[in-house]
Amino acid sequence: MEQKFTGFKCKSCGRVMYPKHDRCLDCKGTEFEEVELGEGATLLTYTKLYVLPEGIEMPPLVLGIVKFPGGVRAMGQLTTDDPKIGMKLRPVWGKLRKMKDKEIFGFKFEPLK
Amino acid sequence: MRDVAIIGCGMTKFGRLEGKDLMDLLAEASLRAIDDAGAGERDFDSVYVGNMMAGELVHQTAVASALVDRINLIPAGAERVENGPASGASAVKNGFFAVSSGASDLVLVAGGEKMTAADTDVIGDLVSTMTHPTAEYVHGVTLPAMAAMLTRLYMERYGVTERHLAMVAVKNHANALKNPYAHLHRECTIEGAMSSIMIADPLRLYYACPISDGAAAVVLCPLEKANEFTDKPVRIAGFGHASDVQTLQEREDPAVLKSVQLASQQAFKMAKLEPNDIDVVETHDAFEILEIVQSEDAGFFEKGKGHLAVEKGVTALNGKLPINPSGGLKAKGHPVGATGVAQIVELVWQLRGEAGERQVKNPKRGFACNFGGFGNNTVIHILERGW
Repeated sequence: MEQKFTGFKCKSCGRVMYPKHDRCLDCKGTEFEEVELGEGATLLTYTKLYVLPEGIEMPPLVLGIVKFPGGVRAMGQLTTDDPKIGMKLRPVWGKLRKMKDKEIFGFKFEPLK
Repeated sequence: MRDVAIIGCGMTKFGRLEGKDLMDLLAEASLRAIDDAGAGERDFDSVYVGNMMAGELVHQTAVASALVDRINLIPAGAERVENGPASGASAVKNGFFAVSSGASDLVLVAGGEKMTAADTDVIGDLVSTMTHPTAEYVHGVTLPAMAAMLTRLYMERYGVTERHLAMVAVKNHANALKNPYAHLHRECTIEGAMSSIMIADPLRLYYACPISDGAAAVVLCPLEKANEFTDKPVRIAGFGHASDVQTLQEREDPAVLKSVQLASQQAFKMAKLEPNDIDVVETHDAFEILEIVQSEDAGFFEKGKGHLAVEKGVTALNGKLPINPSGGLKAKGHPVGATGVAQIVELVWQLRGEAGERQVKNPKRGFACNFGGFGNNTVIHILERGW
């Protein structure tokens, strides 16, 4: 089954959050449902990192903040070396890095064709 | 609540201090502060030690217990205070509470870190563990990466250029050249900064602080008893402390440091002062963009105009509002647990008129901003002459 990038919607007030909090950032509600955040996210800012953390082999590591259509933002790796502010991206599942010889997987962001 | 005075202060030189371990540094700074207060014969009630990661860096825990043993402050109640890189300011805040509540009459606050005990990549990783474990850290997010993303937002939105970052670095290096305690005693030019290596585009090496060892300390007592020790007590007029969501991207506006805004407003309210009452400022410029952003969110300049103040020389040593006369984290250095205490030490010297070549002209009030994360936990102190 394909993995979907999800946020957490407060069952009391409807605010969608990512990452998950145990209490809603608006109403302090404690019950949430997972909701898909969609495909087309917009790049707000980025960096090309040359001093790399453990388990990432080739510089630069491109990181960015994207904004999903509903307003939720996420930070993550970009699969492109040529990021442009405002470009549209979609979350894709893949290997993020190695930590203590263990491979870590998660969502990255890939430009929409 | 009793008024609280700083009656003594001291610090070690900051830098790569070979041959001195964490306890050597904490003891040296503490004894200097106690000597400065003339409190060598007195019994202390409480000791607070700001330290972020002794356990990880030098394999030592319970450093406050070790300090009271080392310099005989026994039987004072002693504890370590950890709040990331704001451990120092949080320790001062604890000291303030102890005195203002009436629980303690004589308090030592020290802060220190032995950063160079570990390799650079280990330190980088330890600092990165301040980020959100699942939404940031595992993705490879580091503090320079966060600073770079904030910088780019500022460039897009407010017209900040790389040259502005270089100007802040040049200013802070020039100030540090006049500070014998500073880590980097090296002139920095715009061209030199702008040709240093890229660490996190658009951030170059010279737009970030070095890795330093060091310690700083202050002695606190009730203002009403300060004349037993000194004729120049410095009053803690206000403090503020506020937090925000941990990740940069989830903030209401990722280009706004809301915890700086809230903590500053609290501190100004408590001190019954406004930003234009302040004569000298120490900011947490672990990255040069942060000096600009903090100067705006603290209320000294309009949002998006902080870089213009740098350009016009407003924040220079002889400007209208000198920022980081000590050299800041950029050039004085950033031994994380020491930083918040060292900012207070610099302001005390400035207010007492003892800052030597880097003395700001006749300051009456100072403001310090210390970060306990990347803008998600901020401790502010406002100091004023108590004489």
